Amino acid sequence: MTGLWLYLPLLLSGFFGGVAPAISRRLPPHVGTPLLSVGGLLAALGAATSLALVAFDFLAQTPGLAQQAGWSDDALRQHDPITEPIGPLALLAVLAIVARVARAATGRVLAVHDAHRLAAVLPGSAELSVVASGETQALAVPGRPGRIVVTTGLLRRLDPGERRALLAHERAHLAHRHHLHQAAARIAVAANPLLRSLPAAVALGCERWADEDAARSGRRETVAAALVTAAQGLRPAGSSVLLAAAGGDVAARLSALRSPAPRMSVWRLAVLAAIPAAVVIAVAVAMHDTERLFELAQRAYRAGRR
Amino acid sequence: MTGRRAKGSLESEVLAALWAAGRPLTPAEVMIAVDSDLAYTTVQTILTRLHVKGAVERARTGRAHAYTPVLDDAGLAAERMRGVLDKGGDRAAVLARFLGSLSAEDEATLTELLESHRDRGSQ
Repeated sequence: MTGLWLYLPLLLSGFFGGVAPAISRRLPPHVGTPLLSVGGLLAALGAATSLALVAFDFLAQTPGLAQQAGWSDDALRQHDPITEPIGPLALLAVLAIVARVARAATGRVLAVHDAHRLAAVLPGSAELSVVASGETQALAVPGRPGRIVVTTGLLRRLDPGERRALLAHERAHLAHRHHLHQAAARIAVAANPLLRSLPAAVALGCERWADEDAARSGRRETVAAALVTAAQGLRPAGSSVLLAAAGGDVAARLSALRSPAPRMSVWRLAVLAAIPAAVVIAVAVAMHDTERLFELAQRAYRAGRR
Repeated sequence: MTGRRAKGSLESEVLAALWAAGRPLTPAEVMIAVDSDLAYTTVQTILTRLHVKGAVERARTGRAHAYTPVLDDAGLAAERMRGVLDKGGDRAAVLARFLGSLSAEDEATLTELLESHRDRGSQ
């Protein structure tokens, strides 16, 4: 038995956090984004499971507990692949992960609940709810059914084709349940800080996905034009003040819209899918190894009592 | 653009066009404002449906009706939208905004684009 299978998920999930966003950006967003969100969640949960196995091996060596359960703590200590100080650290990490994931998941559930309530109370019964406001803003509000909110300020700035692109963009967010992909990314990062690049990458992926959807029923230039018009409205007229520097991805979306739609690449897809798959396999092997370790410890315990 | 778009999305387009116009529009004017290959009867059907839903009001002008979007509790809606957005980061993240905030890099790209746009326009 070797500890490799226990550490591999941690290494692989760190690797995924490092390379996946860049690879996914060069795939069609409807392919790359789910690979990021679902793959990231699998990698994070896999790494957490392997930590939990290490922590369990450590706890099981507590002499009183081992006797209660009927396995030999000596045999465990002898065959345990994990070196001394790792066990207690893994236990602490697992406790922290459980708390962080519980908090993130609760936050997501509450946020989606808020959105559903907002979707239900927005005026009108049509898909589109217009807000009388000089601001230029458009939102997709997930719900049953989801709603699209656009301000009059934005509608008046757009020409007919741009309005259609904007509506198609927001509709794509609702149709593909982009809020769930973003929730997956946030839960992944709560479970594994090595994946901290994921939420921003998934957010950009969702915007790109919606842009490409809108471009499919119109023209790429029209979607870009709608984006430019909307962005202009974010700037107070005649002011040179730069708006908040955080999280801007408009430039990335515009440059993507000015190039042809990204083409499908089987090997990029394969790399993105292979990392989480390898995590899952490593966890399965580690579980199997752990099971054999405990069988060994049980036999040693029975032999010792004879 | 194909003619096979979902009912809901056509309704949204017509409603958006009425809001953008800022004045009552006849079905013929809506056709122009929507700028797609919709038939007159389709536009009329959509307007009637929006009227039944209470999303638009209509008044007779000559031989046709002119339609205006209803501004019922739109002020309340604006307040609610603000409320959700102001909750900030975590809670508002579930709502996909068309634009978040602009970074310095975005600003530069936009300025560049607008200038090239203006150049093309003046030629």
